[in-house]
Amino acid sequence: MRSRIPRVGIGGPVGSGKTMLIEQIVPILSEKGYKVSIISNDVISKEDADRMRQNLATDKGLMPEELVIGVATGGCPHTAVREDPSINLSVIEELESKYPFLDLILIESGGDNITTTFSPALADYFIYIIDVTGGDKYPRKRGLGIENCDLLVINKIDIAPYVGADLKIMERDAKIVRGNMPTVFVNSKTGLGVNTVTSFIIKDVLFDALPKPSK
Amino acid sequence: MGIDIDNKEISILQLSDSFFPTGLYATSSGLEALSQTKKLKSKDISQFISMQLQQVMGPSDCTAMGCAYESCKKNDIVSLLDADESLYHMKLVEETRIASTRSGNQLLKCVSTFAKNKKMLKQYQIAIRKGKATGVYAVSFGVVTSALNIPKRKAGVMLLYGLTVSIVGAAMRLGILQHFEGQKIIHQLGPVVSHAVSENIDRRISSMWQFAPNLDILQMKHEVQSSKMFIT
Repeated sequence: MRSRIPRVGIGGPVGSGKTMLIEQIVPILSEKGYKVSIISNDVISKEDADRMRQNLATDKGLMPEELVIGVATGGCPHTAVREDPSINLSVIEELESKYPFLDLILIESGGDNITTTFSPALADYFIYIIDVTGGDKYPRKRGLGIENCDLLVINKIDIAPYVGADLKIMERDAKIVRGNMPTVFVNSKTGLGVNTVTSFIIKDVLFDALPKPSK
Repeated sequence: MGIDIDNKEISILQLSDSFFPTGLYATSSGLEALSQTKKLKSKDISQFISMQLQQVMGPSDCTAMGCAYESCKKNDIVSLLDADESLYHMKLVEETRIASTRSGNQLLKCVSTFAKNKKMLKQYQIAIRKGKATGVYAVSFGVVTSALNIPKRKAGVMLLYGLTVSIVGAAMRLGILQHFEGQKIIHQLGPVVSHAVSENIDRRISSMWQFAPNLDILQMKHEVQSSKMFIT
């Protein structure tokens, strides 16, 4: 009997740092003994999946190469994670059958703030990532991604002064828009704040469970 | 009586709707590979789909669907599994086989949540779980349309119509067609769909065929390309 592996959906605009966030999260989870698989929904290429496979599997040996999977979406990443997640669900079911020892599946998908949300049938937990280059008005402009995600991640905080983005305004507006839902400021390039994101995953998705025994 | 007819019509509309979740919107059935040759024009799309209907989807998918449908009506799991195996092995390109089985399995899963007459549907899903079947799309389509009591010929039209719409949708997202052109092509291909169903839906599984070698080679190239929008 196939058992359900917890799933985290990571969405955000192109260039916001989804892939780099995953590249930072996986080594931390791996060091703690958690075994992770990644599904990358790409708009027009397999580049993100290829990059993560090279970095996390081939170079660092943190997972088998076949556990980083690229999914083409016909140019409709929103559809692939919300209205019709069929292909993603099929891939997950195959993973659950072949690799029952996995602790977590990360599902990456590009998509703008207006429309991107993950179907609850696909992801148990939804992280939406934006960056400061969109300006400090970004959180208060709302949108499904920012309003509905379980965890809002604001990336590239190191360049905020250079693009005129005030992090305090972003923090204040995120609180207004999201109430008690958490927001984390990160710099995925240096890893600043990434431990906090990983802690949310371990606490809210894995419920502090210990890693499963290896196969 | 009227309610039964309405329910059947609604099942037909529901399964034919591109909103129905089977992942077909992410497939181009080889069109993306062909478009990358830069030789494809909007006037070629109709001919491309006609070729697919007459030489691939009609004689292989529609035939397998018809056989699967009949197998379900006769409660014949052996011939159903034969249709599954035959169609799966007729798909020469790996990405096509994978996409077809993934869509088929999700179709079965979705319809099993609301179909009432699902004895064969359940048996087929058990066979898939045991590794005795694949769930390839057209066979799964025959199984669910039988479970929903949709007439066989209509099921054949729905199958080929759905595949036609998915290619036209891909052509629009690839920037080859604009929206009115797409609808015109779907309308004009009606007689081709109808003819392909008539020719193939009662064909025996042993007479199933397909022949599109250029397309097979293009799709094999598509499998290894790093930049692509579509699964097939």
